[in-house]
Amino acid sequence: MRWRGRIERVLALVRGRRLDRELEAEVEAHLEMAERDARKAGLSAEEARWAARRRFGGIEQMKEEHRDRRSVRWIETGVREFRIAVRTLGRAPGFVVVAVLTLALGIGATAAVFSLIQGVLLTPPPYEDPEQLVLIPSARTHGQQQESPRPWPAAQWLEWQHEAKSFQSIAAYRWTFNFLILPKGVESFQGMGVTPEYFSVTGLEPVLGRAFTSSDAEPSASRVLIIGYELWQRSFGGNPGILGQTVRISRLDAPFEIIGVMSPGVRFLPAPSAAKEPNYDINALVDIWMPLSPGSDPKELKRPRWNIVGRLAPSFTPEQAQAELAFLTQRQAQADRDFAGFTPKVQSLTSEYNREGERILLPLFGAAALVLLIACGNVAALLLLRGFGRQQEYAVRAALGVGRAGLFRQASTESLLLALAGGALGAGLAFGAVRAFQLIGGHAIPRLDAVTTGWPVLLFGLGLALIAATLAGLFPAWRASRLDPNEVLKGAGRKSTVGRGERRLLRAVTMAQTALTLVLLVGAGLLIRTMINIANAPSGYDTSRILTMSVTSVAMRGSEFHRRALERVQALPGVQHAAYAWGVPLTGNNSPERVIIEGQPVPARASEATELPLRSITSGYFEMLGLPLIEGRDFRSNDADDARPVAIVNQAFADRYFPDTATLGRKVWLRGPDEPHNTIVGVVANGRTDDLTRNANQEIYVSFWQNETYSKHLLIRTEAEPLSMASAVQSALRAVNPYAAVEHIKTFDQIRDDSLAGRTFAMQLLVGFSGVGCLLTLVGIYGVLSLSVASRRHEIAIRTAIGAERRDIWTLILSDGLRLIAGGVAAGLAGALVFSRVLRSLLYEVEPNDPATLIAVAMLFIGVALLACWAPTRRATRVNPMETLRRE
Amino acid sequence: MIIDMSNKDMLKQRPYGTLDLLVLKTLETMGEMNGYRIARRIEQVSGDALKLSQGAIYPALIRLEQEGWIRAKWGISETNRKVKFYSLTKAGTKQLEAEVQKWEQANALVARFLEAAL
Repeated sequence: MRWRGRIERVLALVRGRRLDRELEAEVEAHLEMAERDARKAGLSAEEARWAARRRFGGIEQMKEEHRDRRSVRWIETGVREFRIAVRTLGRAPGFVVVAVLTLALGIGATAAVFSLIQGVLLTPPPYEDPEQLVLIPSARTHGQQQESPRPWPAAQWLEWQHEAKSFQSIAAYRWTFNFLILPKGVESFQGMGVTPEYFSVTGLEPVLGRAFTSSDAEPSASRVLIIGYELWQRSFGGNPGILGQTVRISRLDAPFEIIGVMSPGVRFLPAPSAAKEPNYDINALVDIWMPLSPGSDPKELKRPRWNIVGRLAPSFTPEQAQAELAFLTQRQAQADRDFAGFTPKVQSLTSEYNREGERILLPLFGAAALVLLIACGNVAALLLLRGFGRQQEYAVRAALGVGRAGLFRQASTESLLLALAGGALGAGLAFGAVRAFQLIGGHAIPRLDAVTTGWPVLLFGLGLALIAATLAGLFPAWRASRLDPNEVLKGAGRKSTVGRGERRLLRAVTMAQTALTLVLLVGAGLLIRTMINIANAPSGYDTSRILTMSVTSVAMRGSEFHRRALERVQALPGVQHAAYAWGVPLTGNNSPERVIIEGQPVPARASEATELPLRSITSGYFEMLGLPLIEGRDFRSNDADDARPVAIVNQAFADRYFPDTATLGRKVWLRGPDEPHNTIVGVVANGRTDDLTRNANQEIYVSFWQNETYSKHLLIRTEAEPLSMASAVQSALRAVNPYAAVEHIKTFDQIRDDSLAGRTFAMQLLVGFSGVGCLLTLVGIYGVLSLSVASRRHEIAIRTAIGAERRDIWTLILSDGLRLIAGGVAAGLAGALVFSRVLRSLLYEVEPNDPATLIAVAMLFIGVALLACWAPTRRATRVNPMETLRRE
Repeated sequence: MIIDMSNKDMLKQRPYGTLDLLVLKTLETMGEMNGYRIARRIEQVSGDALKLSQGAIYPALIRLEQEGWIRAKWGISETNRKVKFYSLTKAGTKQLEAEVQKWEQANALVARFLEAAL
């Protein structure tokens, strides 16, 4: 029954008033009865009243004990202490505002980044026990990088399914992109083709309908699919009667029956072999699942087409699974040379899932924590100063018998209260900041759309507030409790100087803040230099005034549409050039192919083939991008199916394969040695098409009219602002084919910015954080120096009186400030050398210990900090010696 | 703070829980009663042996009520006033049995000790 007593006692806190009234009533009744009994025993009215009281004992004392017994004493004491703290703080509103705002900035920054971490990294994917899931991409046995990881042939993974003991189950899947043909128009979707084991491996279950069974995947089975929860809501209005309805899909004749609706929030498993497709977005939510089966055709079984996910058997580690699969794969390679050269690389799904997010978010979280530490430093200094100003009050309290513990408790209650207010405000700031992050960082961090702010963030903010209260409040509270009332009260006359110990302490706090700020500033500086370096990097092409969109001809023969649409768009007023391209730079899109090059040995095995990215373009593309042709000619519109296949290579290709001989006229085989070759008709300049921070790869371009693709970009160089042309272009395309899907309308500049989004986001946040840190630290420096001037008035007055010039006073105070700043800067530079390394993966052409950045940042900060010293120094030079000395 | 200390001292002056036990026992024998009657009953039974302010009964009552060993309901006193009447709950009866047993065991132990010492 003890728990019941406890609950009642806590409830009694709330019911206090009522319980008091009830007790009052009982006591009165009690006294009346006692009085009546006493009268019966023969006492007079007066005597009876007194006798009753006497027998009852101390009423107030009893009430106190009653309260004590019925409730939790420490909470009531705490509440009382809180009230006192609120009242005391209320008398210093300026102090409260500054302290709360300072803490709110620190807590807000940290809680905001935390909510990103919580949403992106700490929220596991919606699979059952996701830590048991592993991905199994391929690697080359001799360690050579693959342009695009080769997927697995069914023959291999089917054997793994049967033989691998370290797996509970293994499923294979593919990424697909297509268009739903709905009554209201066409809608593109990304989907997964999965073997039926996908559901047992991932533990996913549809919210409506059923998962795939092995019979669904058979070639003879009727066509079924499962739709994603979000697609269901978006395109079918969440219709509960959806099961059994059929939908049509572009390029696939028979209708599909919807047999299930998946649970919400399911995203793609990475399909590295599809990663270069133009619409591939691994972080997207899956729209559609289709059942797949490897079939039984032996030639088909050997085609590498599958991505693999597996669930480890209980008590097996990824390392054991790796060893077992490597063994099985090696055996397969010995049995069949076609399988040779590739080995599985078992990866934990969750670590793969979080890699990109961790790369950006963890350094930013560190930076936000530094801001919080700096803020705590300021608040600690404020509390210390305030404690100093209240020495008299504390001394009087101590003299009146409030113990050390009491003084400590009072001082720490105040800082706790400040921190809680700061925490609440900070959590509010964090809510706003997360919205802002989602606006500016949409492409920087995967799954940012899933980040929500809610209780976890608020709780985290309050948790930070507790830490902040401890960091900022503990020491000042300890100082308060250690006061010697005698000393303070004796010295009551002279209270304008802060003790040497306090001043030294404040200087140390400020130096630490300066050091932390320097670390932040160096980080921001390095990222700014990175962005400048990238902006100045020789990309080789020009992204300005180009409108891009992905255009797909749904429900019309591609070729006819492509030609007519291009003609119409080119004829639009305001359009300078228009071209199709599969493989627009910086979109991640190209087509990695194994190629055979004239003069190079023909590889014995698939794993040894040269893999190069292919891009398919129409004439005028190079000119539009400003990539000059170095030799030969551009594609022509008659480089079409009926003409001989042609190719254009880039300079890097020519340098690598034909360093000493002519490149034009050479042959390349793009689809195997038995297929027709392409003849090289041109060499184009290098461009950094994959990544602005990497040198150009060797590339091959083919004529779009010989290699028409279903998805592609339409690029348009415009005379005016590109986006202003978007609707004219769209209607021109629709006039050719009303079902044409026009999606992802962006300028080329936006594509470029998106490709840098991670760095840009990190830079913006670091610049913001270091700005806040800087401001707080400058306030700290200003405060410490002002205090120093105030407590040295006497000294300054004497110096002036005995002939010190104004300049001497300037030197005296400024050098004091400079010593303070220089100490912090030196410590900060040392810290930056250590901490900047976490940014390494984000930097470009600048080392984490880049001396130029370190020096520039240090000089800049010293310059700004000296400005903060200016006002106190000026005040020092204005000290009137006569007045000051007379007063003391 | 000061009052706090004195309360703790007051509790220390008599074996902790004695009063609780007396209240429970009283309610068991006498049935439903108000605070004044419980206090009077304890005084009468114990004679002069127990020096007790009648008021001390109320903190004991609230605790017993919170523990769920007794229940209180409003009634009318002999002087025609609203007053709480207390009675034993089932849990209270069990608690009383347990307490009595503990007392008896402790007493027996101490008695044996004292006899042995003689």
